Amino acid sequence: MNNLENLAEYIIVEAKAQGADYVHCVVRESEKREFNVDGGRFSLMRTLFDRDVAITVLKDQRKGSVHVNRFDEGAIYDAIAECIAASESGEPDPAWQFCDEPAELTYVQGTPVCDTEKLFFRTKELLEDIRERHPKILVEQMITSHDTYRSVYLNSNGIMYHPTAGAYSFSLMYSGHDGEKSTSFFGSDVTVAKLDKPVIECALIERELSEIEKQLDPVPLEGKFTGTVLLAPAALSEIVLGTVFGNFVSDSSLIEGTSIWKDKLGEQVADERLTVTLKAEGEDVVIGQKVTGEGYPAESFDLIRDGKLVSFDLSQYGANKTGQKRAGCSAGNVFIPAGEQSMDEIIKGIEKGVLVMRFSGGEPAPSGEYSGVAKNSFLIENGAVTHALTETMISGCVPDMLNNIRAISSDVLKDGSNSIPYIAFDGVTISGK
Amino acid sequence: MLNDIISVRKGEFDSGTHTELRGQLNRSRRVTLLSGAVVGNARSDISGISARVYKNGVYGFSSMAEYTPEAAAKVLHAASENAAFMDRHVPAGKPALPSLPKKSLKLQNGNNDPAQKVYIDFSKELDAYVETHCPELISRVVIATEDSMEKLLVTSDGMDAHTILPRSYCYVFLTAQTPDGQPVELFKAFGGEGTFDLNFTDPSVWYPEIDRLYEHLMKKREGVYADAGLKTVILGGMMTGMLSHEAVGHTVEADLVLGGSVAGHCLNKQVASEKVTLTDFANTAFGKRCPLPVFVDDEGTMAQDVTLIKDGILTGYMNNRESALHFGMEPRGNARAWMFSDEPLIRMRNTSVHPGNDKLEDMIASIDDGYYLIDSGNGQADTTGEFMFGVTMGYEIKGGKLGRALLDTTISGVAFDMLKTVDMVSDTVVWSSSGFCGKKQPMPVGMGGPALRCKVMIGGR
Repeated sequence: MNNLENLAEYIIVEAKAQGADYVHCVVRESEKREFNVDGGRFSLMRTLFDRDVAITVLKDQRKGSVHVNRFDEGAIYDAIAECIAASESGEPDPAWQFCDEPAELTYVQGTPVCDTEKLFFRTKELLEDIRERHPKILVEQMITSHDTYRSVYLNSNGIMYHPTAGAYSFSLMYSGHDGEKSTSFFGSDVTVAKLDKPVIECALIERELSEIEKQLDPVPLEGKFTGTVLLAPAALSEIVLGTVFGNFVSDSSLIEGTSIWKDKLGEQVADERLTVTLKAEGEDVVIGQKVTGEGYPAESFDLIRDGKLVSFDLSQYGANKTGQKRAGCSAGNVFIPAGEQSMDEIIKGIEKGVLVMRFSGGEPAPSGEYSGVAKNSFLIENGAVTHALTETMISGCVPDMLNNIRAISSDVLKDGSNSIPYIAFDGVTISGK
Repeated sequence: MLNDIISVRKGEFDSGTHTELRGQLNRSRRVTLLSGAVVGNARSDISGISARVYKNGVYGFSSMAEYTPEAAAKVLHAASENAAFMDRHVPAGKPALPSLPKKSLKLQNGNNDPAQKVYIDFSKELDAYVETHCPELISRVVIATEDSMEKLLVTSDGMDAHTILPRSYCYVFLTAQTPDGQPVELFKAFGGEGTFDLNFTDPSVWYPEIDRLYEHLMKKREGVYADAGLKTVILGGMMTGMLSHEAVGHTVEADLVLGGSVAGHCLNKQVASEKVTLTDFANTAFGKRCPLPVFVDDEGTMAQDVTLIKDGILTGYMNNRESALHFGMEPRGNARAWMFSDEPLIRMRNTSVHPGNDKLEDMIASIDDGYYLIDSGNGQADTTGEFMFGVTMGYEIKGGKLGRALLDTTISGVAFDMLKTVDMVSDTVVWSSSGFCGKKQPMPVGMGGPALRCKVMIGGR
């Protein structure tokens, strides 16, 4: 069965015939064209032809799911039977609920057709730009690709979506080298719909390469102090956003009851200058979300507005389990509005602290306590960046940090999915040898 | 199980190139119970075929989500085209890879496929035990899971292999509260190589492990923050395993050496105390089968051990065929791919520090003020060798005795500096194998080691 729509319709009919009360499926065909650079030289070109089917059924409010990538009728029939059997083995749970408002939508996002020669040209150009402008940078690995897919989302309540989408992605891992001296590695990533300008000019790639080049002579931090950490977007995502989404506002922590924000809806949880929005679609989102995994039309929503927690990031299932409201989308595209101060202005106001470009830390505790290594970091003293650091740890508590924001930068990383500024936090423990 | 439809395609391999053709099936089953409710219940079977062609120093690769003769022909053609594209646009001008001996290997045990009910019933029994015997919890999660890789491989050198590597685990996550109401968590994975029905026949076997985990959690909820700074510690075997894999193993993967890792300048130099010997084992370690044995890799190289550090001296790298040629070393079966659509990358297999002669209790008794760090939740390392591990379970050592439990913290250091501080090595190796190593693709790996006394930076307050 090679027609995606026919296959999706077969799955719905057959699953109902085998006893499902409700069924939805995503049938998808995709292609990837990819170039790999390893150790600064081209190493590999890949072309992948993929396809897969994900089926979810409810029978007597018992849920089962299967994921296969064979499209022949026998394999699909068996997959449906396995899915039904899996659901029959489970426990009934009245919280399972899927959209029942019939809808149909066909749409195109990004650039579904790959210009392979242009992708190769931009990849080679990026490698040459880095060699020319940043001679001390060694590209440990670069993966550039075009990914495209066509899929059908169909459920037994009459909802059918037909998206076609495609985008170019550039992912670099690199470090600075000078003789036997080397820096910690750093990664830059961006997703774009068009290849209309050199990749080094996208996102913050040029700035990040420059910063890494300055880290060849790091100095270990001596002693321990409480100071300011200025988190670059990657470090902010790792420490703050990772903890908020992983421990405070999502299905698992709220259903488990371990979220310390479970009773904080409508309350101030952060400095009033902070707003965090989850965007389903938008100007800076290359491939957005129009339908959630449960079949609901996707809408952007504010998680935190002016420092107040105004929504959780819950699925319909999570919402039913907790008695809260379903979130507007599950796209995961984080947008934090820029602040008013430039990076220079923020640094000038810091008496003693650390600029952290990347964070390597343990899983944050459910309470939001964390500690880890401030990678690719610089010491800030008396309003100026003095030197790169090594073997420096930071530790703190995310809920406390959110109420100790010193500044939000006007500079923002836009990587095709997210829009995140630099944020400075006071009161963080910074320790060295 | 996959039928062999690929051996007959050898005649279609391009002459003058090295070609691999691989059919693969990845199977996964997973059930999640959250405080007794089944919140996850999923099965996945992903199969397909891929080809990789090496031409003058560059590779072309292609895959299809179909396991058919037509798909084999298509990926062979596309991989050859891709290799030709690269050779035309960015010629590397490198010689052919040294040939490998012809071999045939069939390891097809482990094809049982229990129904989802088996996973649900077993996890319910574990969950019922937790509910009854762990009264102070605010939350509990039990996960039953299995994943397996079945591979059929033919290469232009004459390797003809059919292997299956299944592994299965139960995870138990327990959450309690500190006296001031903050949640604290511990988890443990039980299981190892083999299908779920063979590894998990009797839930009561695992009850003592759950009791120990709960006991640690009850101490942890009364725990204290570590005092941040450079400390003398005992790393438990699980932590040493993490160190072996993350902090040393990755820096001596030859592709990362070529990418600028610190190990590029350290071959045949002292990088650790002479008490430290570290090996990436293929399939047998210290006289026993490894947690996740590998017998042949996805380039068709028969797997052998790689000694990475011998008595403190860095002695080797882990290679694929191309990097082995570059470094003048021998490929030993480290090139592995996760899915049919993945190309082989240099990966670890079962990486462990060798045991020493010290007793753990003597090691603890030797420390006046330090920490005993038992288990880790995650770890990362840099190509500089600077590492970070999360510590989920640990205790103070005061006056040679274990003291209060620790709340979550992290440790860090620079591997080749920190390893020089190792001055005691315990006589018992502990292995873990439930996780995935992440490096473009996930990969099941084993890691292990004895307890080490050393100095590391610890985070805290």
